[in-house]
Amino acid sequence: MSRGILTAKNLGKSFGGIHALKEINLTIHENEIHCFAGMNGSGKSTFIKCVSGIYEPDCGEIILNGKTYSHLTPQEAISEGIQVIYQDLSLFPHLTIAENIAINKIMNQGKRLVNWKEIYSVASAQLEKIGVEMDLNDTIQESTMANCQLTAICRALAMDAKLIFMDEPTTALTAREVKRLLAVVMDLKKKGYAIVFISHKLDEIFDVADKITVFRDGQIVGNFESSSLDKKKLTQYMTGSEVEYHRYVRTCREDTPVLTVDHLSQKDNYTDISFSVRPGDILGLTGLLGSGRTELGLTLFGLNQHTSGTIMLEGKEIKRPTPEFMRKQGVGLLPENRSVQGLFAGKSIRQNLSSASLSELTGRLGILDVKKEEQLAEKMIADMNVKAASMEAPVETLSGGNQQKTVIGKWIAGNPRLFIMDAPTVGIDVGSKAEIYDKIQYYASKGMAILLISDEIEEIICNCNRILVMAQGKQVAMIEEEERLATDPALLEEKIMRLMSEEKRPDDELGAGGVS
Amino acid sequence: MSKLKKWIREDSSLFALFLLFLAVAIGLRLAVGKSMYTPERMLLMGYQVPEFGLIALGMTFSFLLGGIDLSLVANANLSGILGAYVLSGAWFTGMPAQAVVFIGICTALFAAVAGGLLNGIMIAKFSVPPMIATLATMTFYNGIAMALTGGGSLTGFPEIFIRFGTARLAGIPVIFLIFIVVTLILGLILAKTGLGRKIYLYGENPIATRFSAIGNERLIILVFCLNGLLAGLSGLTIISRVTTAKVGYGDAYLVQAMLVAIIGGVSPSGGRGKISGVMIAIATIQVLSSAFTIWQLSPYNRKLIWGFVLIFVIFVNHLIGIRSRRKEKRAAQN
Amino acid sequence: MKRKGFINRTEGFLIGIIFLYCAAVTIVNPAFLSFETLFDILRSSAVTMIMAAGIMVVIISGGIDVSFTAVALFGAYVTTKILTEAQAPWIDHLGIAFLCAVTMGVLWGLFNAVLVHKLKLPAFIITLGTQNLIFGIMTTFIGSKTYGAAAIPKAFSRFASAQIFQIETGTGKVGVSCFVIPMILVLALTWFIMYKTKMGRSIFALGNSESAARRIGIDPFRVRLFVYAYMGALAGVAGIVYVSQVKCMYPNALVGDELSVIAAAVIGGTKLSGGQGKLLGAFLGVMIVHLLNNTLIFLGLSSSWNNFFVGALMIVSVSVTAYQERIKNRRHFIFTE
Repeated sequence: MSRGILTAKNLGKSFGGIHALKEINLTIHENEIHCFAGMNGSGKSTFIKCVSGIYEPDCGEIILNGKTYSHLTPQEAISEGIQVIYQDLSLFPHLTIAENIAINKIMNQGKRLVNWKEIYSVASAQLEKIGVEMDLNDTIQESTMANCQLTAICRALAMDAKLIFMDEPTTALTAREVKRLLAVVMDLKKKGYAIVFISHKLDEIFDVADKITVFRDGQIVGNFESSSLDKKKLTQYMTGSEVEYHRYVRTCREDTPVLTVDHLSQKDNYTDISFSVRPGDILGLTGLLGSGRTELGLTLFGLNQHTSGTIMLEGKEIKRPTPEFMRKQGVGLLPENRSVQGLFAGKSIRQNLSSASLSELTGRLGILDVKKEEQLAEKMIADMNVKAASMEAPVETLSGGNQQKTVIGKWIAGNPRLFIMDAPTVGIDVGSKAEIYDKIQYYASKGMAILLISDEIEEIICNCNRILVMAQGKQVAMIEEEERLATDPALLEEKIMRLMSEEKRPDDELGAGGVS
Repeated sequence: MSKLKKWIREDSSLFALFLLFLAVAIGLRLAVGKSMYTPERMLLMGYQVPEFGLIALGMTFSFLLGGIDLSLVANANLSGILGAYVLSGAWFTGMPAQAVVFIGICTALFAAVAGGLLNGIMIAKFSVPPMIATLATMTFYNGIAMALTGGGSLTGFPEIFIRFGTARLAGIPVIFLIFIVVTLILGLILAKTGLGRKIYLYGENPIATRFSAIGNERLIILVFCLNGLLAGLSGLTIISRVTTAKVGYGDAYLVQAMLVAIIGGVSPSGGRGKISGVMIAIATIQVLSSAFTIWQLSPYNRKLIWGFVLIFVIFVNHLIGIRSRRKEKRAAQN
Repeated sequence: MKRKGFINRTEGFLIGIIFLYCAAVTIVNPAFLSFETLFDILRSSAVTMIMAAGIMVVIISGGIDVSFTAVALFGAYVTTKILTEAQAPWIDHLGIAFLCAVTMGVLWGLFNAVLVHKLKLPAFIITLGTQNLIFGIMTTFIGSKTYGAAAIPKAFSRFASAQIFQIETGTGKVGVSCFVIPMILVLALTWFIMYKTKMGRSIFALGNSESAARRIGIDPFRVRLFVYAYMGALAGVAGIVYVSQVKCMYPNALVGDELSVIAAAVIGGTKLSGGQGKLLGAFLGVMIVHLLNNTLIFLGLSSSWNNFFVGALMIVSVSVTAYQERIKNRRHFIFTE
């Protein structure tokens, strides 16, 4: 057995008295793909920041290629061949792929001048290493997410990386792109590199990982050969318990659909989608990234005009939906990206909760009724169980879970007939997750129609009484109530997974390259 | 008393601003002497405040949205000039003076709102960054004004228009009263109405307002039209005071307006700031400006002082920001 | 591998406009099409071009500067004062003048950079403050008297009348002014810095993404110091050329023109969001503005119409480019405002 590229001994780090990392012992070897699994805030990122020299650990030591460091600088980490690819990729959107690949290396040379020939030769050498062809003259902005991800990998390789950390590299990729990326990663492993892969998608982890390290509450729960684990066990290790969520069963008797969608298409995003949602339905809309699920949700809220087909709200056709109109018709949308699209971070909980009901709270002359607003805020804080010192606290001071409850509350406050929820529990701790599921099911049982968009299959299976599966913009299956009740959850999960990754046309595999 | 204490605690920055104003006002009284606050002087201030005060209010609104409006003064100027064409009898001849004045005022205000509308459409419908959009329209409005007048000035307004400009009600200039009413209305809009809330929310996070179905495009167009209206009022005030219209009047107000907004605690990145703060800032700048007149400072000296004050205020705000962040950090650790 | 064209869409659009405009003017007034007009435009655009190159660098770095006209004026004014009031005749030399103005420009540039970097407020507002400050310091503490044509340094007059070469035309000799020399040098230097040096690439990187630039070890403060100092230096150069061109020195010259220089750069496709901009575009932008300035007369319009056309052109060009971006973003579900 080799001594490994990186060994952490008794590593610890705390922020303001809270242990972010505690007694971490871990070794990463060459020729291996090592997956870090764990919930948000479990310490994975802190660990990466410690071993790449961004944070200074409080105690313990880091051994890189046999050399022991107690204080590691980013520069030392880089020269030992440690490279981190962050989730935002840190690329320069208006520079070419060639320059993005080479810039790190160029900047770290002692020279003052830039040799463009060298930039291109460095860039094409890295592309050769991963066996991919791309147009080096394209800017990042014109490139697909997958090519951006590959560019980031090339940049790490250009710095003579031995160990590459990749923080959730597949979240923004389509199924095909993920395959291509994973193939590249496997190939790099064969060439002797070590890859640490952080992912929330358990299938991916089992697809590529040799070893799996599970983090929980700043500690390592276990260090496993991936063959010795299965998904269920892994989830158990990650969450610390075997969580069983309550399964929703529709009780509502009203059968006139709230929303009917007929042959709805939008160029480039989805085609021929037909379904209807009744009061009390929680219709799951699932599919991989790029399946068109989010785009469909945006259309129904008026943020993405459809090109053909019809949208009917309680029997009335809506030709050109806008968010303002849809809100008035009783449609709400919980957006996918909480902090960017949902929150007014610096504003109070009260102002956030009332932000989608302002026209209901204004009286004559457009005067805002503050009393009414306070009552509404108080009610929603209680209903959604938002934990905060007062309704005047800025939402940025809340935890992720409470922030999300606030964004949900802002729509519930308007008592919508149809509530579209896109990824309601992304980046949220387990406790809040269960609470949010309870709320979703509660409001559905009161007659609200809910369209739940998610790629977490477990979330879909326990909450939704009907499930629509999308793949590459097409509706591949509609699992109705009876089937869902009659099928064992594990089997159902398997079926949905299979449907989701259904490839209609078996085209480009590895090395296709270029802009699609 | 307890109410005052509560106000001081809750709005410490506004209170600090008020103290600053008092210090400046009293300091100038001591420095200049009796002639600082003679009735005539106060009256003069009353005539001067509305011109740049209206521009400053427009700047405040654009700051609150997280943008900037560089075209305010150009718009004021152009609408003043268009109004002046009517008022001087160049366009509508053979009409009674009252009708001419009425049409003149309408023309000016209509043109100003149209100017604001163009800004709003460029920003809301074409996603042009506010600074670029208003830079372009600023050039354009100045260009129209210059092309129309060729750089000359327009005079010969009807008597009643000029009389209105200098009219007083209970000893207070009417245009100052109008300014106060406008300010109060705008203050109410910001503090009490749904529209005001939408402006603050948009300034905080414009993407989230889009996802909250607040109607971003309508909001932007509305606010920039309002800005146009303010510019138009300012333009009318200017031509009524100087009784001529000419390209280039009020060019210094752009800097003063930004200065006022920043001193008044309005964040140029959006979402924060109050009309009350801006009002105190306007008062502070006006007494300073009056003192400069008494001291007979040249426009050059004034520029030096305005520039220095702007940098100084930004610097002080920066220091306060650092301190409060440290305090918050300490509070978070305990 | 496909090669990116030398001329992008915006630049093609501008070249098209220049051609159309020239064709239209020629039809109305054939006298337009002469070397004299061309040389005239070149001569008069030198000042704007030099400053536009500087502001383009600042905007690419993700910043903005509206104080550069005040810096140019400051440099030119102080230099004029030194050159005329110094008792030594050797001091009345163009080289010393440039050195002097550039030094002052650099110092003010560094001052701007420190404020912009440390105060973390929009650079527009900060440099608007320094614009007033610099202008005020000059007029209050250094002087505010006007230097007439007879009073300006001899070196400037000689510089103004010098020509690189002359050509014979039917009506007489016309020549290319020496102002073209600093203009070409500045353009070449700017191109070299932006495309051939590490600093230039750091400027692009910073304008693209400050956080990413930090991660690869670029020090934003150092880059800003360079960028604003470079702007200051070019402002100094532009100041000297300006005094030579107008052959007199008013204390309130230039200030107020900064926005039209920025307008020229923006028309040329420089994006205020940073990280994007090409010298060719800025060059074309300046050319269009000066083409209008110099040749409206051929269409029978007075120079009062300058801003009208520049403004209209700017409204159209920024709306079109912003709208294309918006459509592209919406397609990728990026909801920028």
